[in-house]
Amino acid sequence: MQWLYLHFSSLQLDSLLYQQAYHQACVLVDKNQVVQANAEALQMGIKTGTGLAHAALLCAQIKVVAYDAKKEHRLLSQLAQCLYQTSATFYLDPPQGLLLQTSDMLRLYEGIEGYWQQLQHPLIERGLNYHYASAHSPLAAKVLAYAGNDRLLKHPRQVHRLLSQLSIQHALLDPKLALQLERLGLNTLGQAQALPKSALGQRLGKTLVTYLHQLEDTSAPAKPAYQPPERFRQRLELLYEIEHSSALRFPLKRLLTDLEAFLAPRQLRVAGLSLGLNYREHEAQKMHVGCNDGEYRAEAWLSLFLLKLEQLRLPAPIIAISLTTKGQMPWAPLSAQLFEPTQGKLTTGQLISRLQSKLGDHAVQQVYLRDDHRPERSFYQGMPQSHYPSQQATTFLRPSLLFTLPQALHHKPDQHWCMLSGPERIQSGWWDNVNICRDYFIARNPYGQVCWLFRTPTQGWFLHGYFS
Amino acid sequence: MALLQLEKDRLVWRARQVTGPDQRRQSSFYANLDAHLQGGWPQTGLVELACGLSGIGELRLLFPLLAQSHTRLQIWINPPAQLNGQALAQHGISLSKTLLIRSQSPQHALWSAQQSLNSGCCSHLILWANSLTAPQAKRLQIAAKDNQALIFWLHPQAKPSTSALPVSARLSLAPLATGLHLQVHKYQGQWPQHPCQVDMHALWPSLAMPAVVPKPTPTLRRHITLVGVNAHKLQ
Repeated sequence: MQWLYLHFSSLQLDSLLYQQAYHQACVLVDKNQVVQANAEALQMGIKTGTGLAHAALLCAQIKVVAYDAKKEHRLLSQLAQCLYQTSATFYLDPPQGLLLQTSDMLRLYEGIEGYWQQLQHPLIERGLNYHYASAHSPLAAKVLAYAGNDRLLKHPRQVHRLLSQLSIQHALLDPKLALQLERLGLNTLGQAQALPKSALGQRLGKTLVTYLHQLEDTSAPAKPAYQPPERFRQRLELLYEIEHSSALRFPLKRLLTDLEAFLAPRQLRVAGLSLGLNYREHEAQKMHVGCNDGEYRAEAWLSLFLLKLEQLRLPAPIIAISLTTKGQMPWAPLSAQLFEPTQGKLTTGQLISRLQSKLGDHAVQQVYLRDDHRPERSFYQGMPQSHYPSQQATTFLRPSLLFTLPQALHHKPDQHWCMLSGPERIQSGWWDNVNICRDYFIARNPYGQVCWLFRTPTQGWFLHGYFS
Repeated sequence: MALLQLEKDRLVWRARQVTGPDQRRQSSFYANLDAHLQGGWPQTGLVELACGLSGIGELRLLFPLLAQSHTRLQIWINPPAQLNGQALAQHGISLSKTLLIRSQSPQHALWSAQQSLNSGCCSHLILWANSLTAPQAKRLQIAAKDNQALIFWLHPQAKPSTSALPVSARLSLAPLATGLHLQVHKYQGQWPQHPCQVDMHALWPSLAMPAVVPKPTPTLRRHITLVGVNAHKLQ
């Protein structure tokens, strides 16, 4: 079996700086020690292991960000999602490593070179720094990758030669154990391998024997291989705090592009997205955008979000954004439209979601009928649905424009009015305490408007609508 | 590239565009109106209806047309009161294809009108707006023509807007005893004509005024709708 190990020595920092055009020294710090540094910082002489105070002395304008192993783990799984397109079997080795089984993939890509080319592509695209090595056993590949070997070795013989030359300090052994070995005069791994294992075990303990054994063990690690998640969920930490909603466009686009890359190969689309906005010193907010027909393209979602973001006022600067999906559905072509002449650029659902994003969810409505004799309750305006319920309309003539609240008439309709029909008594609603008793008339007022009037039992006259 | 941009802004005129005004019409389903307008409403474009007051029958003028179209959406923007679904359904309008938009500002109303037209999934759009500027009207007109849609712009002024607005047709309406009095101020592709009367008596007999106003008689037919437990007590 053949293994390839990828080591991302500055995963969190690279992801943070990706596409940010930041040209100053920037370091990640854990327990007052620099753990990751960008090229500018390295130029200044800041190395991993440098103390924070020392680093600050070397460069006054240094940007310091806290290292977070959890975040790095999350980034690693995001990366794994992306690599799943090219590799079938691989294992996460948190926080910074990926172990790929290459032997299965070689036939597909016609050799390790072709495979490596494909594999490298997303890594370069994301601006990641990485070291790699291939070997016949997982541990050997890992050790060589950490040593910065950066070669694809095909023969175990080459691997053995490189391993035997490797200094004990770089062999990923426990520092205490490495020191013990050095004190015994064993400076390279080869010297340790040459000694009888039983003797080494007696003197230095089981760990070393297991380690040496694992270097030759070609079998897969005893943990499940990576499985891509069912749902998309991603979070993006921002290098800068964003104070204007328009500036959210670029980080948002990055998330949506990842979403598209997640959905497209799975033949899925989503009906809604929820954008989480994490503020500095303010409660996090969520922003929902929907598209009933389902959509997967980043471009389409971005235009919906931009309409919504226009209206957003940020209560505090944004430090991170996250994206989750709602209502995943299989992608199906809109087959009904195949034979219809369409000049449409959007479907009805897409149009509705566009309008809702800009005007608000309740600004776009459909009219639904209800079985009720009370005119104001015989229909209602609600959110558009993809399946419209069929219902029978009343046979009595009703006005096309109806007032939400009937308007009181100051005078009783006089001889200038022309009563056209009526009265029609509507008495209903005893069951929900909105009891009405009205005598409706159709009448034409002196201005020529055809009105729908009613008279209450107390002889009050009201205008309820127009037969427009 | 520069030429493309100019064409996009419709600043370039090409001789092959000489097709004359669009002569295609869609029937309004009112016989005398069709005869008067030489075939009915325009197929596409912006039609201005100056109604004066709402409630004189301006929507009844459009209902027969709207009832014939079920394939694409019919969008109503900012009607002056609630659109009664019962009435729309009675007139044969497909509620599943009816969309209602309420906007906070006139700008948003025009924005949504244009989005709806440009989406290509809207066949008729009824827009209530107090006024339009010439660029706004032109934008709507172009969006409607490009997407095979017809917009009716209704406004509460009794007099139509100035003639500078680029609309396909400009009409003003006034109430009559049996229908509407209709003055055509502009109609692309034909000369101004005498006013015409639209008779709605055939479609809505109960809403037309009788020829002689009768004195209210005690024999008026009563429609009584009684529902529920109380009903049997009253009957």
